[in-house]
Amino acid sequence: MRKISSKLIMKDERQITMLVKGVPVTIMNSVRRAAISLVPTIAIDKVYVFENTSVMNDQMLAHRLGLIPLNTPKNKYKTKEEHDCEGECPECTVYLYLKAEAMDDHVIVKSGDITSDDPDVYPIYSDIEIVRLAPGQKIELTMSARMGRGWEHAKWSPVTVAVVRGEPKVRIFHNKCDLCGECVKVCPKNILKIREDKLIVTDIYKCTTCMLCVDSCPKEAIKVDIDENNSLIYMESVGSLKAEDILVSAFDEIIRKMKEFTKAVKGE
Amino acid sequence: MEDQVPEEENRRLIGDLNMMIPVRCFTCGNVIGDKYSKFMEAVNKGIDPKEALDELGLNRYCCRRMILSHVNIIDQFILYEMVRLKDAQDI
Repeated sequence: MRKISSKLIMKDERQITMLVKGVPVTIMNSVRRAAISLVPTIAIDKVYVFENTSVMNDQMLAHRLGLIPLNTPKNKYKTKEEHDCEGECPECTVYLYLKAEAMDDHVIVKSGDITSDDPDVYPIYSDIEIVRLAPGQKIELTMSARMGRGWEHAKWSPVTVAVVRGEPKVRIFHNKCDLCGECVKVCPKNILKIREDKLIVTDIYKCTTCMLCVDSCPKEAIKVDIDENNSLIYMESVGSLKAEDILVSAFDEIIRKMKEFTKAVKGE
Repeated sequence: MEDQVPEEENRRLIGDLNMMIPVRCFTCGNVIGDKYSKFMEAVNKGIDPKEALDELGLNRYCCRRMILSHVNIIDQFILYEMVRLKDAQDI
């Protein structure tokens, strides 16, 4: 068996890049897919409209509200499959309220105006513009937010972009290279540099394997390969979960599915 | 319509920076709903649109086109609504 080793390349609240050596791209792709469609988050699902005299119709309003990312507390709410309930129960649902009226001036209703029953469930971005009210217009809504998964609707998907690709490998043949600098000029990510009479690659993980350096080199002194036996995974969070938590829960979801499968095989 | 909607009201509606933009980018799902007014503010200050977009963290061209190619229509709807409200008051 091949040895597996992981290396964290870049991480912040929103993004994570990891190099997983020994796991082929085809296997790592299942983690990417789990992150997109299986990791549960919380989002507004139903909107009860008590009053809406704005120019935006109810469906459009509900659609916009559904897309607002909400902070998802860990292990607090259950998904549909985890428990039996007739749609809405305190174990899976949080109620949020939005009430706004324009008196003398125009009012822009923002996601920050939404109040919640649970202080842990709130819109992460408070400046998202929901609707604009002209003087005299009014909206009054109650929303129910519940746990869901990306395969039900994209609003529950915790990631914007999730990419898996092979590890880029740039080989430089120093005996052929005459330091003409053509490849340095042409590289769109500016990762090739000439330092101390030597051509070097500064940040290999930024390489998109576009091959422009290979095409530009008159001496054929540079070669770019993609090693699909090691995978490079990049994820960007919408905001409802931290990027690292998404990656961990994606693994958890795969393990959960594997356990279900093993049970089925054993006939339990 | 020009007689019915006060001129200053009209000007204010058109000159306003806050517009209704889709909440998410159509392609990648990144949140852009809170970024349009920030972008317009920066551009009105004289900052290069390219730099303003970079500052907002919109790196992909799918999110960039959402902001750059946005056409606001809610103001036009509101104008009709204003006329209707004004008519109702007159009656």
